[in-house]
Amino acid sequence: MVSEHIASLQPIAWHEPRDSYDVVIIGGGGHGLSTAYYLATRHGITNVAVVEVDYIASGNTGRNTTIIRSNYAIPEAIRFYDHSRQLYAGLEAETGAAIFHRVKGHVWIAHTEMGMRTERGRVLMNQAMGVDTELLGPADVKRLVPQVDLTGAGRYAVLGASHHVPAATARHDRVAWAFASGASSRGVHLIQHRPVTGLLRDGDRVVGVETAAGPIRAGVVLSAVGGWVSQVAAMARIRLPVRTHPLHAFVTNDFEQGLDKIVASTELACYVSQTERGQMLIGAEFDSQPSFSRLSSFDALRSYAYKISALLPFLRSMRILRTWAGLCDISADFSPIMGETGVDGFLITTGWGTWGFKAIPAGGEAMAELIATGRTPGLIAPFGLDRFRHDLAMADQASAGTR
Amino acid sequence: MTDAPAEVAGRIVVDGRPIEFADGDSVAVAIVRTGEVPGHGGCLCLAGDCGNCLAEVDGVAYVRTCQVAARPGTVVVRHPAGGKPQLPVVDWRDLTLMPVGSKIAVRRTEADVAVIGGGSSGQSAVEAARSAGRDVLLLDARDGSEVVGIYPGPSIVARDPGGMLHVRADEIVVATGSVEIQPACPGSDLGGIVTAGAAERLEAAGVDLGRVVHVGRELLRFEGDAGRVSAVVTVGMDATETTTPCETAVVDLGRAPRDVLARMSRAEGVSAVGPAAEDQPLPAPPRDGVVCPCMGTTVDDLEAAWDQGYTDLELLKRASWAGLGPCQGGACLPHVRSWIAARTSGPPPAPFTARPAARQITLAEAAADVAIDAFRRTPLHDEHLTLGARMDRFGGWWRPWHYGDAVAEYWAVREGVSVGDVSTLGKLVVSGPDVVEALERIYPCHVADIKPGRSRYALLLNERGHVMDDGMILRDAETRFTLTFTSGGAANAEMWLRDWIQTWGLRVHVMDRTMSLAAINVTGPLVKTLLARLGLEDAPRFLGHIRAEIAGVPCHVMRLSFTGETAFELHHPLDGSVALWRALMDAGRDLGVRPHGLQALFGLRLEKGHVIVGMDTELDTTPRRLGMDWAVRMEKPAFIGRASLERTAKLDDSRRWVGFSMDGEAPTEGSPIRSVENGEIIGNVTGSWTSPLLRKALMLGWQRRTPFADRVEIDGREAVVTPTPFYDPEGHRARA
Amino acid sequence: MPALEPVEGWRVVATPSALDGARWNGDDVDVLRIAPDEALALGATGVEIDDPDAIVEPEAGFSVAMLDVDDWHGVVDHIDWPLPEEPTVLAQGKVAGVPARIVLGEPTLLVVQAAYANELRSRLGW
Ligand SMILES: Cc1cc2nc3c(=O)[nH]c(=O)nc-3n(C[C@H](O)[C@H](O)[C@H](O)COP(=O)(O)OP(=O)(O)OC[C@H]3O[C@@H](n4cnc5c(N)ncnc54)[C@H](O)[C@@H]3O)c2cc1C
Repeated sequence: MVSEHIASLQPIAWHEPRDSYDVVIIGGGGHGLSTAYYLATRHGITNVAVVEVDYIASGNTGRNTTIIRSNYAIPEAIRFYDHSRQLYAGLEAETGAAIFHRVKGHVWIAHTEMGMRTERGRVLMNQAMGVDTELLGPADVKRLVPQVDLTGAGRYAVLGASHHVPAATARHDRVAWAFASGASSRGVHLIQHRPVTGLLRDGDRVVGVETAAGPIRAGVVLSAVGGWVSQVAAMARIRLPVRTHPLHAFVTNDFEQGLDKIVASTELACYVSQTERGQMLIGAEFDSQPSFSRLSSFDALRSYAYKISALLPFLRSMRILRTWAGLCDISADFSPIMGETGVDGFLITTGWGTWGFKAIPAGGEAMAELIATGRTPGLIAPFGLDRFRHDLAMADQASAGTR
Repeated sequence: MTDAPAEVAGRIVVDGRPIEFADGDSVAVAIVRTGEVPGHGGCLCLAGDCGNCLAEVDGVAYVRTCQVAARPGTVVVRHPAGGKPQLPVVDWRDLTLMPVGSKIAVRRTEADVAVIGGGSSGQSAVEAARSAGRDVLLLDARDGSEVVGIYPGPSIVARDPGGMLHVRADEIVVATGSVEIQPACPGSDLGGIVTAGAAERLEAAGVDLGRVVHVGRELLRFEGDAGRVSAVVTVGMDATETTTPCETAVVDLGRAPRDVLARMSRAEGVSAVGPAAEDQPLPAPPRDGVVCPCMGTTVDDLEAAWDQGYTDLELLKRASWAGLGPCQGGACLPHVRSWIAARTSGPPPAPFTARPAARQITLAEAAADVAIDAFRRTPLHDEHLTLGARMDRFGGWWRPWHYGDAVAEYWAVREGVSVGDVSTLGKLVVSGPDVVEALERIYPCHVADIKPGRSRYALLLNERGHVMDDGMILRDAETRFTLTFTSGGAANAEMWLRDWIQTWGLRVHVMDRTMSLAAINVTGPLVKTLLARLGLEDAPRFLGHIRAEIAGVPCHVMRLSFTGETAFELHHPLDGSVALWRALMDAGRDLGVRPHGLQALFGLRLEKGHVIVGMDTELDTTPRRLGMDWAVRMEKPAFIGRASLERTAKLDDSRRWVGFSMDGEAPTEGSPIRSVENGEIIGNVTGSWTSPLLRKALMLGWQRRTPFADRVEIDGREAVVTPTPFYDPEGHRARA
Repeated sequence: MPALEPVEGWRVVATPSALDGARWNGDDVDVLRIAPDEALALGATGVEIDDPDAIVEPEAGFSVAMLDVDDWHGVVDHIDWPLPEEPTVLAQGKVAGVPARIVLGEPTLLVVQAAYANELRSRLGW
């Protein structure tokens, strides 16, 4: 089993770093790597370095619960995430890499009238955008998820749900490696263990990065950092409407497959899916207190365990293998921030919060297009930083809820 | 090896077969006693370190059987060979025993110093702390206290025979000692291999190990027969191989730090001592065979992943799975580090981090004694149930959604009289010499000109000029006001007010009355008749408020209207609530009084075009977007949000919340709103109601494209933008 | 099972010094100083206080249980924050996830807003 798994690894190529590139991407998470990949594959731009403080995908990309879905509530978000979902569906074919992409369907359970109102609206908005999401009654929920306790442990009765049929999961580090492999084999440099500590400037223009091991010059710098984005933006003298909060997750040991759907509840703010290895992968809401700590929290584990097993009682006797946390950059309107920053030579992709894994292909593709052409693609135009100045938030908090 | 134990203590059942065990046996030892292995091979440590004795015990899979005492009736099921356990199946009858995790006790304790591990380094840590007069707690897995994790605080979570143990300590000392290094060579996954320590334990328990061969660093591989070790092959200095037949192989490859807890405890106040913290020589680099027994990763696998570029310990771990299993790298990490050192001809990489759980717990154990979401009840809860209400949770409270027939409830309001429980509204009393100043700064409307006995509707804005909440400002006296807020927004609004008042250093007292006062909204054209019967002779004018006794209950009577009909909110102490409600129901019987739930209320307000913050608004909703600029007095010099509003007022704005109407049934709330020209989605419906009175579909919703349309498509039908209020636009009825 | 019953009293918000000097009417008054500027006087029938802007309101929004030692042991199991050592000190925090106030003593008083009483009862198995 392990050998089979390893046989499907794609090679990552490592290069001796240069001191200047056309494009320097700060942050070797999914967004940084996919941007590099699309620069190389779609635009032939390969004089690119991805500079990562730790190892690639050491941030949220390697810590997330891997849910890919497009059942958002505002058209701009639905369009963007659905495009990303489709890119994901074609990623194995495109790259030849095994990312363990599995279409599962996302059952988003409501326990109150207000919760049902949200799900009904979501279904209609999704359908209007051509996205396959249907409304379920309690009996349908039981049919799709036979393990569910419709009484919600006698406390959170299931009134119904929305079912987003094409929702999927994919192995997180495999996704990062697919892009890393595709980019590095085309000549992109991946530079690990190299913190970016400052920006090089020429007048008002950003012309490279300062790193712990010396400066690297660049035609364009893209910040694709996660967790510490406020600090990196501050290097460009930008104050972002972003706060960083820890988000926890945990997995059980491996079991035979048996939970087909991704199951989520907004009121309980928790969700679960079964990984390709058979673990139950469980997450919930981010910590309300902003922090840069990635230490696990038992309080989070306890409440997540309680909530998810109120919904799916078979989980109660399952043992927890591992818990961890990531750092989520939460923007003021719970939507991403992508594109130009107002500082010449410095672009940004951030605000990925608890929802940015699903966006890795479309986010990278769009940022690559912006870098290559100098024009912001329509798909991401609503998500520019300047929307806050124009008071045109992309508020979709209820959809961000369960990743 | 099948001798019956010396002293039979009872039987456990393994894969459906009863086996006997001796006093003091763990499940693993009892199984080894029968000549079998508890798992599916691999070297046993019997110290809780490796993952080779995992099995399902009493319905819980992945249990280290060496850490569980055998008890009569213990049911053990081996995990499927080469496979994984099935998902647990719920016995639905168990679920009547609520709530989650409630059967598991949680004990909480505190100590100056908590020492994990009672070996010699642990004992000296205990003694040192004791002699310094500190209160010490010692946790040792051998006494049944299995530490799950160390958390910031610092704190420890452990499982012990009594349930779960949550420990808070000023200082935590990890003294977990060392583990015996597991073999990593061909055949190391066979049964019948034990560590030297395990062999000692088994011998002490009187287990017959048959023909035993001891082997150390000269180990080359194991040979086996039917899954069990049959011989040990060693290599001498001169590279000659020697094969020694055996029934049990006892392995002594030296020790490595038992550092899973040390590797996860970056928390402040945590230190590691003794062998747990000491570097030990790494084993020779593995050349062949299984390296990670939990995941089955072999040396070939490491090689293959490395060759593909996964050349960082962290990448290698994730690519090869070595270290991802239940023992958290306890078994494989020394081998993998040694292998990398050999591969790179460099120093071994630093160990990877470990994360809880060091010893696993079930979700039920994690969830033991968890309580989240305390839902509130109003004093009228039982009244609602008696009246057949369907209760729903809304804004953290249980509230009546309807009493069986929302339309009949609606008509009672429009044509007769009706009562609604609005006890959940936020209520603050503020008083003090600076109170007017404070409220003028907080609210976007004028406050100073509200006369005692009068009130005003107000929005609450944040610094960005976005609507946070709304409610009433009621002036009680020169320097005293009552403020109301929405049910869901009350807690936030209270913090908001207190924060600002403190920030400004103003002399204002704040008392939260949200849960101290109940409130009943009495509304409908016949309301005055009803209230007069109960003693309210001089009803206040619209937006007036008085103190009066109604049915003997002291009430703060507020005249306002959310329903569009004449309405009085009766705020009163909790202990008078049931009496007041019943008096209203009794005295209004001939008037056709009936209670209304939220569903009817939402329809009633919709006909009036009143906003519900949170349901209709987004987090960027400005008063302008709601068409509520009238509630903002930009001529005021300062209030929260003013600077932002001044700036955004100059921007083109493409968002408006407006009314729509069309024939037929109301569409579902949340429906997309499309352009009639090109079908593009230009907004969404936030409120929708088939008006029984106006006999058409009325809607409130957002337009998010300019120029704003006059006609739109909703639910495949054409709807027209319609000024609100839809009903009684002049407001005669509310003022009547 | 201990009874968790509604109680009456007075609630006052005033300057801390005025509250320090407040004179409470009634026999058997338990004054809970829930904030520097706020007191809840259970069993009080009135109060004299030296602050013209004080907010002084009769209060019927709380429920109280008197706990003997055994009852208290059952409650302590559901408290996951450190309790003060000294008796008669007011402790405020969650009990079984419900916001509550505790006055340690003999008996110990457990005070909650009445809106939460039902939730607390069911969580404590009362
Ligand atoms: C527990 C958890 C569960 C989640 N679940 C989901 C989910 O189910 N679905 C979903 O869509 N999203 C989910 N997310 C969110 C998702 O993981 C992230 O939004 C996504 O991974 C962001 O990718 P990224 O490349 O922007 O950031 P990251 O992967 O965090 O990458 C940023 C990189 O920048 C590096 N970096 C930081 N500072 C510097 C510096 N100064 N110099 C150099 N490098 C630096 C970091 O080390 C990091 O590797 C979850 C997040 C968490 C934490």
